[in-house]
Amino acid sequence: MTAPSVTMKRASEDTARAKNMQEALAGYGFISPALAVIVVFIFVPMIFAFIISFTDWTGLKPVNEAQWNNFDNYRKLLFEDHPNRDDFSRALKNTAYYALGVVPTQTALSLLLAVIVNQKFLRFRGFFRTAFYFPSITSAVVIGTIFLWLFNRDGIINRLLIGISGGSYRPVTWLNDLNGVIHNVFKVFGLTLQTAPPWMRQTEIFGQSIWQWLSGPSVSMLAIMILAIWTTSGTLMLIFLAALQDIPTQLYEAASVDGANRWQQFRRVTLPLLRPTTFFVVTIGLIGTFQVFDQIYVISSGAPAGTTVTIAYLVYTTSRGAASQSAATAFMLFVIIMFFTLIQRRLMGSRSW
Amino acid sequence: MNKKFAFLALVLVIALSLAAAAPAVRAQDKIQLRLLGWSGSDAENKALNQVVADFNASQTEIEAKFEPVPDYDTVLQNALVGGDVPDVFYVSVQNFPTFVRDEVLMPYGDKLDNVEDFYPALRDSFSANDMLYCAPKDFSVLALQINTEMFEKAGLKPPTTWDEMKAAAKALATDSVAGFVLNPSLDRFAAFFYAAGGDITNADKTEMAVNSAENMAALEFLNSLYSEGLAKTTADANAGWGGEALGKGLAAMVMEGNWVEGFMKDSYPDVKYQTVELPAGPTGAKGSLAFTVCYGVAKNAKNPEASIKFINYLVGPDGMKTWTDGTGVLPSRMSLAEGFIKQFPEREVYLKSAEFAHGWGFAPGFNQVETKANEQLQLLIAGQATIEDALKEIESVGNTVLAEANK
Repeated sequence: MTAPSVTMKRASEDTARAKNMQEALAGYGFISPALAVIVVFIFVPMIFAFIISFTDWTGLKPVNEAQWNNFDNYRKLLFEDHPNRDDFSRALKNTAYYALGVVPTQTALSLLLAVIVNQKFLRFRGFFRTAFYFPSITSAVVIGTIFLWLFNRDGIINRLLIGISGGSYRPVTWLNDLNGVIHNVFKVFGLTLQTAPPWMRQTEIFGQSIWQWLSGPSVSMLAIMILAIWTTSGTLMLIFLAALQDIPTQLYEAASVDGANRWQQFRRVTLPLLRPTTFFVVTIGLIGTFQVFDQIYVISSGAPAGTTVTIAYLVYTTSRGAASQSAATAFMLFVIIMFFTLIQRRLMGSRSW
Repeated sequence: MNKKFAFLALVLVIALSLAAAAPAVRAQDKIQLRLLGWSGSDAENKALNQVVADFNASQTEIEAKFEPVPDYDTVLQNALVGGDVPDVFYVSVQNFPTFVRDEVLMPYGDKLDNVEDFYPALRDSFSANDMLYCAPKDFSVLALQINTEMFEKAGLKPPTTWDEMKAAAKALATDSVAGFVLNPSLDRFAAFFYAAGGDITNADKTEMAVNSAENMAALEFLNSLYSEGLAKTTADANAGWGGEALGKGLAAMVMEGNWVEGFMKDSYPDVKYQTVELPAGPTGAKGSLAFTVCYGVAKNAKNPEASIKFINYLVGPDGMKTWTDGTGVLPSRMSLAEGFIKQFPEREVYLKSAEFAHGWGFAPGFNQVETKANEQLQLLIAGQATIEDALKEIESVGNTVLAEANK
C-alpha cells in the first residue's frame, strides 16, 4: 500500500522540480540580454578600473606593460601631502557644498511643485505639469549653453538685478567669480584672507586649510547649482506627484473629521506617507549631485581657479595621462556615495526599502 | 533538417567568400593614411586639407586624409590604447615629454629631409635621449597687440617698457575699455617672468626655479595692473578671448600670438591695430613664449614609411608654404622665413620675438603643475592669495611632479 504512494509522491516531486527548473531557465533566458549588457558594459569595466587603480598605468602605453604599484595611487590621494590629495580634497569640498545646496533645495522645491499641481482646484494643471517637467527633458548641454548666456556679465540675470536694484548693484561676473559664498558673508563682517587669524589660514586638515574648507561654493558654482536645481526639480516633482496620488482620499477625509487643518493634514498625513518617496528622491539626488559632470563640463570646465572641479570632473581630467590615478579617484567616489546612501538608509528607516 | 543544413551552409559559404574578398579589393587600393589633429579655425582646416590634397595628387600609392576631432587629447589617448592608432597625429609640446616617457612615439628625425633647416630651438623642443622624435609642424609666438586708434588719440607711442605699458593702460582705461586684457595663466605670465630675468625650472628641468625675487617682481607688476583696475580678465571684459576684446574695442592692449592676425583680418577687418614686441622688463631684458606642435608617428605604426613620406611633404618647403600662407602661423623652417615676411610683413614682429622667446614643455605630468599655477594666479588677482604663497605653492607642487618625473 505504501510503496505506490511513495513513488507517486516522488514522481510528483520530480515533475515539480523539472517544472521549477524549466521556469528558472526561462527566467534566466529572459534576463540574459539585459544581464549580458550589464556585465559587458558595467561590471567588466568596473572590475578593470578597480584592478588598474593599483597599477601605474598612465593610459598611454599598452595596459599589459603597466606595473603594480600597490597602494601608491590611494596613498597619494589620501595619506600623503601630495598635489593629488590637494586636488581630491578640494574636489570633495566643492562636491559636498554642491550636494549640500542642491539636494535639500530640489527636494523641497519638487515637493512644493508636486503639491501645487496636485490641487484639484488648480486650472491649467496640465500646462503647469508640462512646464515644470520641461527642463528635465531638455539636453543638459543645451541648458548649459543657455545658462552661459543668462549668467554672462552682460546677461539677463545681471540686467535684471541692475533694474531691480536701481543701479546700486555692481555686476558680478557669475561664471568667473572664484570667491566663496561663505567667504563673501565673512567679508561683510570684516573677515578676509588678510584679517583671518593664523590658525584659520595655517591649520591644514586633509590638504586644505580651515579657511579654504569654510569657503562655501564659489559664486560660479552657485550659478551651476541654480541650474541643477532648476533642471532636476521637474523629474522629482513627477515622482512626488505619483506618490501623492497614491494617498487614499479617505485618510484626508478622516483627518478633517478629526479636526485637522490643511497644514496638519500635510504634516501628519502627507509627509509620513511620502516617506519612502522622499527617501528615494533624496538618494537619487545625492547620487546625482556627487556624480555631477555634464553641467560642469559645458559651463565652467572647472574654472575659475578650480572652484567648480567636482570629483567626477577630476576623474575626467586626470584620466588623460594618469589613468590609474583617475581610477583610484573614481573608486573613492564610489565609496563616498555608498557611505552616504547607507547613512541615509539608517536615518530615514528602511521598512519599505 | 537537411534542407535547413544546406541553407545554413550556403549562407556560411557566401559570408566567408565576402569576407575573403574584402581585403583582396583593399589590397589593390592605395595605402590609406590618417592624420589625426584637433580642429582649428576654418582657415586652418582649409589650408591643411589643401596640403593633404596636394600631397595626394603627387602620389600614386598613398592616400592621406585629415581628421580633425574635438576633445583631441581624449580621442588620441583612446586611439593609442585601443589599437586604432592614427598614422600621423599632432603632438603638442606640452604632451611631448609624457609621450616620450610612455614610449608612444617612434623617433623618425633621422629620416627627415634637411633637418638642419628647422629652427634649433624647435628641434630641441622635440628631442629627447639625443634623438629628434618628430617634425615641428609650425610655431607661434606671443607679442603685444595695441589698438592704434586709441593710442594715437591719446598721443601715446607703443610701450617698450613695463612702466610705459602701465602708463598707457592708465591713460586708456575707461569704464568700457580695459587698458590690458589678459587671463591669469602660467603660459602667459611666464613671458613676464622671463623678461624680469626669472625662470620656471632650472636648466635641465629637474627642479623648480619659480619662487624667485625676479618672478616676484613680475607678479607685483602684473598684480598691480589688476588691482588698480587697469587689466581685466576676458570674462570681466565680456569677451571670449583676447582677440575678441581687441576686435570689439574692449581693450587697448592684449597679449596674443600670431593666431590673432588671421582672426582680426577675417572678423574685424576695420579695426586698426598694431603688433609690437612685448615690453622689456626692469633690467631691459625681453621675454616671450613660443608654442609648437609636431607630427607624431606611433611606435607601432602600421605604415611608418608612407607616414614619414607624408610628413616630409607636410613640413617640406611646398607643403609648409601652403600651410603657413593659408593660416599665418610661423614656418618652422628657417629657409622659408624670408618669403614669409615678404608675404606677411606685419608678422615679422613675431619672428623677431622668437629670438628671445622661451619654449614651452617641461616634464611628463607637468600639466598638473600648469593647472595648479593657473589656479594660484587666478586666486592672486582675485585677492585670495598672496604673491609669496602663490609662488611657494607652485614651486612645491612642481618639485613633487618633477621628482616623480625624474625617478
